[in-house]
Amino acid sequence: MDDEIRRVAALILEAPFTRRTRRELLYCGLGGLAGLLGFWIVVVLLAFGLTISASVLGTVVGLLLITVTLRLSRRLGALHRRLSNWMLGQQVEAPPRFQPGTGVLGRLDRRLRDRAAWRAVCYSLVKLPVAFVQVYAVALTVCGLLDLCYPLYWELFRNHPGGAVSPLAVLQPLPFGGNFTIYSWPGTFLAALVGLACVLAGTWAARAITAGDRALVRGLLGPSTMAERVSELERTRSLAVDDAAAALRRVERDLHDGAQMRLAALAMNLGMAREKMGEDYEQADNASVRELIDAAHRNAVDALADLRDLARGIHPPVLDSGLASALATLAASSAIPASVTADIETRPAPAIETIAYFCAAELIANATKHSYADQIKIKIYTERAGLLRLEVTDDGIGGADAALESKPARGSGLAGLAQRVSTVDGRIDVSSPPGGPTTVTVELPLRA
Amino acid sequence: MRVVIAEDAALLREGLTRLLEDRGHSICAAVSDGDALLAAVAEHHPDVAVVDIRMPPTHTDEGLRAALTLRHDFPGIGVLMFSQYIETSYSAQLLEGGAAGVGYLLKDRVANVAEFNAALQRVADGGTALDPEVVSQLFRASRQRGGLATLTPRERQVLALMAEGRSNAGIAAELVVSGGAVEKHVASIFSKLGLPPDESDNRRVLAVLRYLGPTDA
Repeated sequence: MDDEIRRVAALILEAPFTRRTRRELLYCGLGGLAGLLGFWIVVVLLAFGLTISASVLGTVVGLLLITVTLRLSRRLGALHRRLSNWMLGQQVEAPPRFQPGTGVLGRLDRRLRDRAAWRAVCYSLVKLPVAFVQVYAVALTVCGLLDLCYPLYWELFRNHPGGAVSPLAVLQPLPFGGNFTIYSWPGTFLAALVGLACVLAGTWAARAITAGDRALVRGLLGPSTMAERVSELERTRSLAVDDAAAALRRVERDLHDGAQMRLAALAMNLGMAREKMGEDYEQADNASVRELIDAAHRNAVDALADLRDLARGIHPPVLDSGLASALATLAASSAIPASVTADIETRPAPAIETIAYFCAAELIANATKHSYADQIKIKIYTERAGLLRLEVTDDGIGGADAALESKPARGSGLAGLAQRVSTVDGRIDVSSPPGGPTTVTVELPLRA
Repeated sequence: MRVVIAEDAALLREGLTRLLEDRGHSICAAVSDGDALLAAVAEHHPDVAVVDIRMPPTHTDEGLRAALTLRHDFPGIGVLMFSQYIETSYSAQLLEGGAAGVGYLLKDRVANVAEFNAALQRVADGGTALDPEVVSQLFRASRQRGGLATLTPRERQVLALMAEGRSNAGIAAELVVSGGAVEKHVASIFSKLGLPPDESDNRRVLAVLRYLGPTDA
């Protein structure tokens, strides 16, 4: 329990100093300012446009104003989407391009019915309160940092010997009173304490509002749901195709460098042995023949082992008797003691079983390589709504979630797993705070 | 014979070294990639180099590229490509500059030590040693263009053996016929293909390959 509390406390205290937080603050600052500005522009233009077009005379001008607003909103939306993709590592695709109609009326009609633009207008309007909080969070953090420096500041600049003490006002951007002023060096520590509280509050506020803003960007500035689904399917299909091609290449490579090479060596050994035997067996150089046949035998055995490993890598035969026993076999051969609990009610499709098996194999291998864990727990169970859930937990050093966020070469490590899983609409969740424990959860549908 | 070996699989590299040393050849160097091969050849000037096609760093066709460089920089040194696959495009590139001192064999062929040794000797002496696979692939490629239709099955057989780099006597022994019969077939092949007959073994093979090679029809 104590450990738990200490872990959570460490998490809260360390958060302001992570790279993620710095990016979030930067995003809040830039995105918040852009949001405030954008809101006013959009509101003013839209209000003018609507009012004017309501009057008989101004209809044309009003409609023009509205189309200008819509175009501008699309641009603003693109700006916000890029900011969030770039700084928050989101992957929100652009909405479909605007398809202009023909003729003046056609163009106007298309413009006014441009859903992506209207959704961007919505974002600009909804952004106002969000932007307020974002800017406020940044201000809070900055004030907090300044307050934190007061003890230093006082020492360096205010310490006039014998001079009059000029008081320092503690910055704290609360909208209501409670400001106080300090007159002595020990007092600056109180200011620093207030500063620390402000930094913590500011960074956590930034994180919370950023999470909300992420959802808004995804919902309002991305492609609409159907289009989104199509582009997601296109993306995962190309991943699946690449994955299959890479797997075949790997098999070819393994054959070439493994069994084929050993069989060539075996043929060579036997050929040489035959040479040594000579035409009639009287002259045979028994010692070297024996040695060559030993080498040939070794190569044959190694080739068999290579082929067996390769076959297992393509499709583990044990999978035919179900995931539970396959995972048990996997756990038994793990270098770190591993236990399996399985509760599978309906048997998943073979493709899903294979993916789950290779995920488990990869996760166990990862834990063995990186975690310094003493124990691995593997849980596999089916859930309501046709969901298969695989949980691999180790009690190691943690810090594995960075591997998921970074984008290493395709098909490698956690990011590679996430890609493979996404091809069947599955997902991976990694919880791995520094110090551990690491839990990786893989969710797969029962049918691909 | 002085030999340089380039092969990235240690097992095969050592096996080849031992096999050739047993046969009384001297191995100047046994290396595992293309750059090292070029350096070793420049240093030792061997009679022949045995080169694996797939080697580090990219494991695609380093060996072939190194071999082409060798053919260009050291025309007198025989090059025997040694691979687990036969690729028509590789044979074509290799034969582009002529068939003298070139070999391309499947790794399987090493099982017959005597034949492998003979092939290596041929390449070192400026002859040709092509795997029957290479020849049949080239045949297929050229048959698609037509042109061999006029040859009798026996003549085609003789042509295939010629393309592998055999001499008339070798062909006669292989087909169990007299040397005169082979000469008759060869003359007939040349006339049917419209090639002037030539006494030199090498130019004969070259002519055949030029006809078979997919690079010019």
